Amino acid sequence: MESRGYNKSSQKSFELMRHFAETYAKRSETFFCSDPSITTAVIEGLALHKEQLGAPLCPCRFYEDKEAEAKAGYWNCPCVPMRERKECHCMLFLTPDNPFAGTSQTLQEVPLEYQTTQ
Amino acid sequence: MSAAIDIADATFEAEVLRSDIPVLVDFWAPWCGPCRMVAPVVQEIAEQYVGKVKVVKINTDENPQTASQYGIRSIPTLMLFKGGQKVDVVVGAVPKATLTTILEKHFDTPAEA
Repeated sequence: MESRGYNKSSQKSFELMRHFAETYAKRSETFFCSDPSITTAVIEGLALHKEQLGAPLCPCRFYEDKEAEAKAGYWNCPCVPMRERKECHCMLFLTPDNPFAGTSQTLQEVPLEYQTTQ
Repeated sequence: MSAAIDIADATFEAEVLRSDIPVLVDFWAPWCGPCRMVAPVVQEIAEQYVGKVKVVKINTDENPQTASQYGIRSIPTLMLFKGGQKVDVVVGAVPKATLTTILEKHFDTPAEA
């Protein structure tokens, strides 16, 4: 599989996750963040988890055991809070009243690298 | 100018618990969108409160022990330590004003803006 950089998913996984995010945003009538680097980072994290764990576990949580959490399913995207109340603390899907919401449901991908330090 | 410094499980005790001044800890992860949003705010806090508060960042992917010990769930989580004790917690990407309000509450005297 071709490498897109350290600790990143394959291009295929990224594209699948991007497609899911765009479709789900439209279906849930939510919008991506006005800062597209936020959206790109989250989609990358979801795609990587899908490859590593078999499920798109939320990249904005800390887990004692990622494998067990992926099996449990609660925080697999779209997570239960998103499906029930349109709450996405990862800021991937934002309701129009959110001050950070943009107007797009299509990803404008921004080049990002994995950071071990910020 | 002072920068927020990166710490690890191995340096947490020395850098945070044994600090003479309050410490703001930013628990973050690499592919967490809101973590990238709050990082510049945390950096501004580090510069504004030089000598009054120490600002450190810990990557929870690389340092699960500390995250586990402090019960981190949603990230980013910002935690304030004073005298080796956790005294406040903020979850999520918050505006700078929210952080300064929390910090000021824990200072004996107000900091100059």
